[in-house]
Amino acid sequence: MDAINLSIRDGEFVIIVGPSGCGKTTTLNMISGLEAPDAGKIIIGDMVVNDLEPGERRLGMVFQDLALFPHMTVFENIAFGLRVKKFPKSEIVARVKSAAAAVHIETLLNKMPRQCSGGESQRVALARTIVTNPSVFLMDEPLSSLDAKLRVDMRTELKSLHKRLGATFVYVTHDQAEAMTMADRIVVMSRGRIEQVGTPLEIYNRPSSRFVAGFFGTPTMNFIEGAVEANGSARLFHADGLDHPLSAAVPAALAGCKVVLGVRSEHVLIGDGAELRGTAQLTEPLGDMTLVHFDDGRGHDLVAKVGPTADIQPGAALSFRFASDYCHLFDASNGTRIY
Amino acid sequence: MTTTAPSMTAEQARARRIRRDWVRRIVRHAILLAWTAIILFPIFWMVSTAFKDSGEWVAWPPHWLPHVPTLHNFAQIFAFRSIDPSLSRQAAEQAFSIWKSMGDAMLVCTTAALLALLLGTLLAYSISRFNVGGKYFRHTILTIRMIPPIIIAISILIYYAVLIPYASSALFGRRISLFDTYIGLILIYTVTTLPFVIWMMLTFIDEVPYTLEHAARLMGAGRVTVMAQVVFPLVASGMVVTFLFVFILNWAEFLLALTLTHPEVTTLTVLLNKFQSASEGRLYGPQAAIGTMITIPVVLLGILIQKHLVKGFSFGTIRR
Repeated sequence: MDAINLSIRDGEFVIIVGPSGCGKTTTLNMISGLEAPDAGKIIIGDMVVNDLEPGERRLGMVFQDLALFPHMTVFENIAFGLRVKKFPKSEIVARVKSAAAAVHIETLLNKMPRQCSGGESQRVALARTIVTNPSVFLMDEPLSSLDAKLRVDMRTELKSLHKRLGATFVYVTHDQAEAMTMADRIVVMSRGRIEQVGTPLEIYNRPSSRFVAGFFGTPTMNFIEGAVEANGSARLFHADGLDHPLSAAVPAALAGCKVVLGVRSEHVLIGDGAELRGTAQLTEPLGDMTLVHFDDGRGHDLVAKVGPTADIQPGAALSFRFASDYCHLFDASNGTRIY
Repeated sequence: MTTTAPSMTAEQARARRIRRDWVRRIVRHAILLAWTAIILFPIFWMVSTAFKDSGEWVAWPPHWLPHVPTLHNFAQIFAFRSIDPSLSRQAAEQAFSIWKSMGDAMLVCTTAALLALLLGTLLAYSISRFNVGGKYFRHTILTIRMIPPIIIAISILIYYAVLIPYASSALFGRRISLFDTYIGLILIYTVTTLPFVIWMMLTFIDEVPYTLEHAARLMGAGRVTVMAQVVFPLVASGMVVTFLFVFILNWAEFLLALTLTHPEVTTLTVLLNKFQSASEGRLYGPQAAIGTMITIPVVLLGILIQKHLVKGFSFGTIRR
């Protein structure tokens, strides 16, 4: 971990996202107190919590493996935190029941965790967290063990739970779709550093680096290495044999810079009297659209999104251009965004 | 014809395979049966001798089964009846009742096994979770088990019978000896089986996912609560298996008990050795009867272990 500086607002749904080993779980563990930072401060509310035990920080955490106690019933699992804190018996029963009701598992209370399905276990883990009324919910890839459909359902449910509880959620995932759909703000991490913090659309539309641009969006953004050239008052992107006009807003000072041009597949336009030529290699019909993989004959493999009715066969010649206003330019040496 | 030929071959091949499987099965079972016979023979001989009269103990040619079965040996070790009148007075004096030894052995073995289990489990937890002693500590512990017991026996004897009594009388004016005491034997049994407990419990505790403890700690549980309510219930099966193993180790231990006790504390293995006399030599009948009595609890525990072994060693199936 290196120089992490992040402040999260009260009631916010923040998602930390990044590839495996980028430090997102470590960040979460440091917030929870399960790991201690070598230096720096962790502040919850207006209290420095570095020296507080995990149990004293008023946090709730859902783990990737859910960490349900296999030798306790669902009821005992949910009640564990209250029993440890020595709540009166009647209050424990009442609070467990209301937490179970909040995630619709009232009928599971007498079952053992091994008798619950994946989705049910998920809800038990949530109820166990809700019941102690924490001010911050920490979630470490809680949906990763669910199948695709259940994951989408749970996403919606988590979002509505966040709205209902009004608590702060800090959620860790490597799944960009989860991040885009649930987060108020996304924190993108890579190699122990924060790459960018922003709303989902900011991250998608104005990625701060080549890494962020490549991490978000399916299929991955197209990247072409080249240089910016001045062409009179206009700017031009040049890469061995491929010349493409850039937006008029690209500053003249960039002329001569080595850059990486980034274009999302939906901004690669095919046909329409475009000047550049290419050959289709592969098409992937997805129903609502079709992905066309093609090369431009100069060693650049590109992907374009076209309408579902477009009839492009592999091997067919095609013409293409980029939507100039949606081209991103990254520094070729360090990958930071320059336009 | 050409169409049936391949199917015939296939059938022949199948028949040959079945025949080969049968031969393999018979050979395998023959080897296993022979091995079982070799393993079980001493036990058979012991049980058979336990029911033989003194004339038959060392008869030649050997009597595989007692010609005149008798319960005399058992009556003698349980002191129901006076010693065999045909034996010398000396032999009769050296025969002891099994009752006290059984009580001694039960007390010492159970207490030592429980103590070792308690200490060993806590140590295993600290090694598993906090890497106490460093990377190779778990292997170092196992090597302690490889020291021959006789080396320990002599040095401990010097401590128990000489150094501790001498030091205590010099320091406190009162002679305290651990020689021939329950505490002395329990202590040495606890110490010698501790590495074994640590090693076994490590395998069980390593299996408990960290996240269960993390979850409990985040809910406000302290270290002790986490151990008592989360970790130990999950390794309970392992603790039972370990206890039984250690109990049997203690139960069958002979050398340390022989060296460190006499005549107050007498375990069964030591008692067994005492059934001999200068004139008659070894009293094989009563010895075989004691041997049979020692084996019964071990066999019963073995059956219990088998049940727990399955549970204990299929522990990795904790749902994650």
